[in-house]
Amino acid sequence: MIKQERHTLAYGVAGLLILTFFVWTFNLLFGIQNHWAESNSVTAMDKDVHALFDPWRNLNRPGNDVLENYEVAAQQQALGRHLQEYRQARGRLDMHSRSQVDLSDYYRDMDAVALEVETLARRVLDLAEERESLRLAAADPAQISAAETEAATTMAQMDQAFQSGLEIIAGMDQLLDQRLLDLDAARRVGVRSLYLIVIVALFSSALSLVLLRRTSAQGEALRSGSQRLNAIVDNVVDGVVTVDERGNVESLNRTAESMFDYSSDSVVGWNFRRLIQPESRPLYDAADFQSRSQSPGRISEATGMRSDGSAFAMELEGTRISVEGRPIIIHIVRDVTERKRSEKRLQLAATVFENTSEGIMITDRDARIQSTNPAFTAITGFAPEEVLGQNPRILQSGMQTREFYEAMWKSISDTGHWHGEIINRRKNGEDYTQWLNINSVKDGSGQVTHYVGVTFDISELKASERIKDEFIATVSHELRTPLTSIHGSLSLLDSGVPAKSPEKSADLIRIAKDNSQRLVRLIDDILSIAKIESEKMKFHLRPVNLGKLVMDAVEANQDYAQQFGVHLQLDTGVENAWVLGDKDRLMQVLTNLLSNAVKHSPEDGVIRVETVHNDAYWRVTVTDNGAGIPESFYDEVFKKFAQADATDRRKRGGTGLGLSISKAIIDRLGGRIAFESVPGVRTCFYFELPIMQPHWDVEAGAERIAASAGFAAHAD
Amino acid sequence: MRNDSLHKILYVEDDADIRKIVSMSLEMVGDYTVAACGSCSDALEVVDDFGPDLLLLDVMMPEVDGPATLRALRSRESAAGAPAVFITAKVQAGDMAHYKRLGVFDVIVKPFDPMSLSDRIGQIWQQFRSDAHDDAG
Repeated sequence: MIKQERHTLAYGVAGLLILTFFVWTFNLLFGIQNHWAESNSVTAMDKDVHALFDPWRNLNRPGNDVLENYEVAAQQQALGRHLQEYRQARGRLDMHSRSQVDLSDYYRDMDAVALEVETLARRVLDLAEERESLRLAAADPAQISAAETEAATTMAQMDQAFQSGLEIIAGMDQLLDQRLLDLDAARRVGVRSLYLIVIVALFSSALSLVLLRRTSAQGEALRSGSQRLNAIVDNVVDGVVTVDERGNVESLNRTAESMFDYSSDSVVGWNFRRLIQPESRPLYDAADFQSRSQSPGRISEATGMRSDGSAFAMELEGTRISVEGRPIIIHIVRDVTERKRSEKRLQLAATVFENTSEGIMITDRDARIQSTNPAFTAITGFAPEEVLGQNPRILQSGMQTREFYEAMWKSISDTGHWHGEIINRRKNGEDYTQWLNINSVKDGSGQVTHYVGVTFDISELKASERIKDEFIATVSHELRTPLTSIHGSLSLLDSGVPAKSPEKSADLIRIAKDNSQRLVRLIDDILSIAKIESEKMKFHLRPVNLGKLVMDAVEANQDYAQQFGVHLQLDTGVENAWVLGDKDRLMQVLTNLLSNAVKHSPEDGVIRVETVHNDAYWRVTVTDNGAGIPESFYDEVFKKFAQADATDRRKRGGTGLGLSISKAIIDRLGGRIAFESVPGVRTCFYFELPIMQPHWDVEAGAERIAASAGFAAHAD
Repeated sequence: MRNDSLHKILYVEDDADIRKIVSMSLEMVGDYTVAACGSCSDALEVVDDFGPDLLLLDVMMPEVDGPATLRALRSRESAAGAPAVFITAKVQAGDMAHYKRLGVFDVIVKPFDPMSLSDRIGQIWQQFRSDAHDDAG
C-alpha cells in the first residue's frame, strides 16, 4: 500500500514539472516572437526617424539664404515643398503603433518645433519680401535695416527651433537605438533559454526514452510473467477458482472448467455456492474462507455440481489474499471421486480382511509373517503380536512329511499357487484340519514380494463328514447283520444239512423270520430318521387328546410286554389332556418309549406310565425298573444306533434308532424329551408338550410350533 | 509247532443268530470244533482250555470290539500263534488295510455263504500254513 502512494506522488510531481516546463517554454517562445516583432517595428521606426533628418534639415534652408538671393518666391515654393516632405516623413512615424517605445512626447514636441520653424520660416520669408519691397521702393534704409534685423532675429529664432528639432529627432533615434539594443539583448537571452530548453528537452527526452524503454521492458516482463502465471495456473492439476469478497467467481483455470464442466465465461459473476451441491453448502459457509488470510481453510468432504447437475466428491481449500489492495479468495478444488472410490475399496478390503471367517496370513518374501486377521487368531489361537515376524512353521503339527512341504513350495515357486488340506496345530496344542490356499504376490517386475495364505478350519466339516461316513458304515453294518442271518439260515436249510435235526431247522426258520422283521423295522426307522432330518416328514397337526392316546398305546403294547413277561401299568389315566400334535407320530414316540422300557425291563418287571401336567405342559412318563443307564452313556442316549448294551438290544430286536426318532418328533412338535436314571433301580423317560389352549386355532398353533421349532410345519 | 491240520476254531460274535448259523455251518459242513462266544470276556474264559487253531472274530461288538478282543486273546499263550480271521459286515474303504495292520490274516465279509464258509476257512488255513513254512525256511 505504501508503494502505491509513492507511485501516485511521483506521477503527480512529474506531471507538475512537465506542465511548468511547457508554460515556461511557451512563454519563452511567445516572448521571443514578441521581441522579434517589436524589434522589426523599432528598426522600421528608427529608419523612419532617420528619414526625418533630411526633410528637417531642408526645412531650415529656405530662410537662410533668402536675404542674400532675394528669391523669396522661390524660397516660399521651396518651403512649401520641404514642408510637404517633412510632413510625409512625420506621418510615417504615426504608423508604428506596435512599438513599446513611447515617442508620443517627442512627437508632440517635434510637431510644436516644426510648427514654430514653419511659422518662423514664413515670418522670415515675409520679412524678406517686406525688405525687398522697401528696397525696391527705396525706403528708408533704417526701415530696411529694421526689417533686416527683425528677419535676422527671426532667423536666429528659427535656427534655435531647428536645433531643438534636430535634438528631438536625435533623442528619438537614441531612444530607439537603445530599445533595439535592449530587444536584441532580450532576444539573445530568450534564444539562449531556448537553447537551454532544447537541451533540457533533449536530455529529458533521452531520459524519458531510456526510462520508457525500461518501463516497457518491465511491462513486457510483467505481461509475460502474468501470461506465464496464467499458463501455470491453467495447467495445475487442481482446479483453481478465484472469488471476490462477495463470493462471486472471478476466474476458473482450465482444470476447474473441465471439473465443473463450465466455461469461465458462463460462470464468472456467479456466487461460488452455485457450484456446490445444496447439502454441502452449510459446510462451505462454515469454513468461511473469507477470513482465512493466515491459514487456508479446508473442507475434505464436499460435493461439487457439474453443469448437467451431476455430483462429484471434491476437496476444497480456500485462502484469502490481497492483490493490488483488493481481496481475492482463492479456491483450490480437487476432484476426489477416484480417491474416495479407492478409499472405499480399501475400506471394503480392510473390512473383509477384518471380518471374513477365513483366516488370512500375509508373509514377506522370506516367509516372515507380516499380517494376520482376526479369523486367523480365532482359528489358530495366536494373536497377531505373537506371530508377527515369525515363520509359519510355528503352526506345523508334524503330521505332514518333509516331502509334503517340499512339494508345496515347489508348487508355489512354479505356479505361484498351492492349495490343499493340511493339519496344523493351534496355540493350545490341538491339531486341526484346515483348507489352505497360498498365493504369491508379485510386484510390477514379477518379483515375489509377499505370500498370502487364506485358510479355513475344516475340522468340523471333516468331523461331520466322518459322522456321515460312520453313519453310512453303521447303517450298512446294521442292514448286513440281519441279512447275514436270513441268508445264512436259508442257505443252510436249502442245503439240507440240518434236515437230520428238526430242532435246528426250526431254529433256522425262526432266525430267518425274526431277522426279516428286524430288517423291515430297521429300514422303516432309517427312512423315518432320514425324513425327519431332511425335514421331509409331513406332520398333520391337530388337537390330540394325549390322555386317550397314552391309554391306547399302553393297551396296544400289552401283548408285546407280555412276551417278555413285563407288566405295563397305567398309573394316572387322564380323560382330557389336549395338545397340538400329530397323533400317529406321537403314537410312534409312545410305542418307542414303551418297547424300549420293555426291552430293558427284567422279567416280571413293571413299567409305570403316567400323564401329569403343570401350568404349561402335559408330561407323559414311562418308568421301568431295569438296569438303568450308565452315566458315561448319558450323552449317547438319543444318538443314532446308540447301544449301551447291544447284546441285550439285539436279543430283543431293537434298531438303536427309536430314541433318536422320538427326540426328533418331540423336538418338531415344540416339546421336550428327557430321561432320569438310577442305575440298578429304574429309568424314567418322559416327554412334555404345551397344553392346548382353548383360544388356539390349529393354524395359529402350527405357526407357534413352527416358530419354536424353527421350520414351517404343514397344517391341514 | 502245532498240528498241521485245522480242528479248533474260537469264534466270537455278539449277534446270537449269526453265531448260531456260523457255528452250525462250520460244525456241520466243515466238521470243525467250534467254541462260540458272545463276547470278549466269554472268549477269554474258554480260550486256554480250548486251545484254538484259528480265531474267527466279529469286528463290531459292543464294549470290546474285534481288534481289542484279538489283542486280548493274543496276550494268552494258548492263542498267541493262531491266525486271526475277521468276519464282518464293516468293510468300508480303508477298513481292510486297517485290519491287515492289526495282524489279521484274512477277512470274511458278511453276508457270507454258510455252505462255502468252511472251504474258505480251510483255504485260509492252508495259506497260513504255507506262509509259516516259507518263513521257517
